[in-house]
Amino acid sequence: MDLLAQILINGVLLGGLYAVMALGLALVWGVLNIVNLAHGAFIMLGGYLSWHLYTYLGIDPFLGLPITAVVMFCLGYVLQRGVLNLIVRAPMFNTLLITFGLEVVLTYLAQLAFSADFRTINPSYAGSSIALGPVVVPVARLMAFGVAVALTVGMWLFLLHSRLGRAIRATAQNLVAARLYGVEPRHLYAMTFGIGIGLAGAAGGLYGTVSQIDPYIGATLTAKSFAIAIIGGLDNPLGVLVGGLVLGIIESLTVLYVGATFGDVASFGVLVLVLIFRPSGLLGKTA
Amino acid sequence: MSAAAEKGTAGEPVLVVDGLGAGYGEMPVLKGVSLEIRRAEIVALVGSNGAGKTTLLRALSRVIACTGKASFLGRDLVPLTPDEAFGAGLVQVPEGRQLFDRMTVEDNLLMGAYRRADKAAIAGDLERMYGLFPRLGERRRQLAGSMSGGEQQMCAMARGLMARPQLLMIDEMSLGLAPVVVEQLMEVLATIRGEGVTVLLVEQDIHLALSGADRGYVMETGSIVHSGDAKALIDDPAVRKAYLGL
Repeated sequence: MDLLAQILINGVLLGGLYAVMALGLALVWGVLNIVNLAHGAFIMLGGYLSWHLYTYLGIDPFLGLPITAVVMFCLGYVLQRGVLNLIVRAPMFNTLLITFGLEVVLTYLAQLAFSADFRTINPSYAGSSIALGPVVVPVARLMAFGVAVALTVGMWLFLLHSRLGRAIRATAQNLVAARLYGVEPRHLYAMTFGIGIGLAGAAGGLYGTVSQIDPYIGATLTAKSFAIAIIGGLDNPLGVLVGGLVLGIIESLTVLYVGATFGDVASFGVLVLVLIFRPSGLLGKTA
Repeated sequence: MSAAAEKGTAGEPVLVVDGLGAGYGEMPVLKGVSLEIRRAEIVALVGSNGAGKTTLLRALSRVIACTGKASFLGRDLVPLTPDEAFGAGLVQVPEGRQLFDRMTVEDNLLMGAYRRADKAAIAGDLERMYGLFPRLGERRRQLAGSMSGGEQQMCAMARGLMARPQLLMIDEMSLGLAPVVVEQLMEVLATIRGEGVTVLLVEQDIHLALSGADRGYVMETGSIVHSGDAKALIDDPAVRKAYLGL
């Protein structure tokens, strides 16, 4: 029983991180109709950025997150404005090709720049944990979880209540009408992609505090983010939070009761089940 | 026929179009259209399907290229981009309403004010819209796509008004709506005209549009074929014969 409680706690903490990983992917997918295969590579870059800030400048990974997010936002804005705006209205296949290309380029640039060695962000509190009765909660994971939930809820409020968030939703729903009322799509798309990449960067910084970074983590993280976005639905950032938690818990349970190599089998198994029974996502509206 | 020869009401000219041509690729649709709309007028542009009404709207909104002359509030319209035309106060309520279906009524209205920065005035206009369309006030938190056709049309018109238009161009307002709803919408048009908003009503339903307008233009295969006082047009034997089946 204690073990189960511990596994559930681990799953929930992992799930929060998963949610913030998938948040940017879901946003870009929902608004720009681009399935960004390079999303995980941007998470990886965010992780390296946080690692450099911590290792060379001594900036705490959590305090450094805003810097990482802003730098990644700028990178995303420029990429969208310069390159990806060419393919926004293009068939899905073109978007997959170009973002796949981007993922390969980013991965190998990272390998050249940062070498293939594992990196971990290890602040002083990395090893400490809080004991809640028989259950142990690692401090860094708890903080990462808190930031992840705050980012997800913040994103939800931003989309619902800000002028820019409203325009992002409007453009996703009806481009013709949005243009008619003065929305400038190229700028709006670049802002959206920038926010998506900024979130990926923040997710990377969090990931670096609880796991290891190397140049090749991108592909796996893209696949996970994709599964979470599908499970949660693209409509609503809170769906992504639910998707992340579901995946985190199922993975943790599977690793314990079935075997460590079956974690991914379970998460993609859930993805298939969701696609069959609730194709618009757990929180999505069914027709 | 020169637009200037048209006798309008007392207001200053808002839109003056002279010999406007436009089309798609090699295919000309508009062949020298001339018309004039004055401040606080309701002008009907009527004609059957395919007459070129929507093409004229698209040319005026600067979505498609055009030849000839068009000026809006004394400013040359032809070199403007769609954005600039919108910024100058030329606002369209598109055919088929084109609402943001999965957004609330209030969010739809706020999107109409997207380019405005005057927060207090936007909040005031929002309340004004709920006064003008009480149904929208009741349903401000409801998703726009879940409302009836008439309510959706109200939402689309209110969204257009939130942009503070100088000229509101409404494409096929009555399409698919019950007569009683159309009557309500017509009353709203009369009210906003009283507040100084100029309206161009583009309609296939000729009788309906002319009965609610001050003046009318009848379009046929890309040209204006009849024009004048709306009541006179309804009684014009040629118009009656060709369009009203009387």
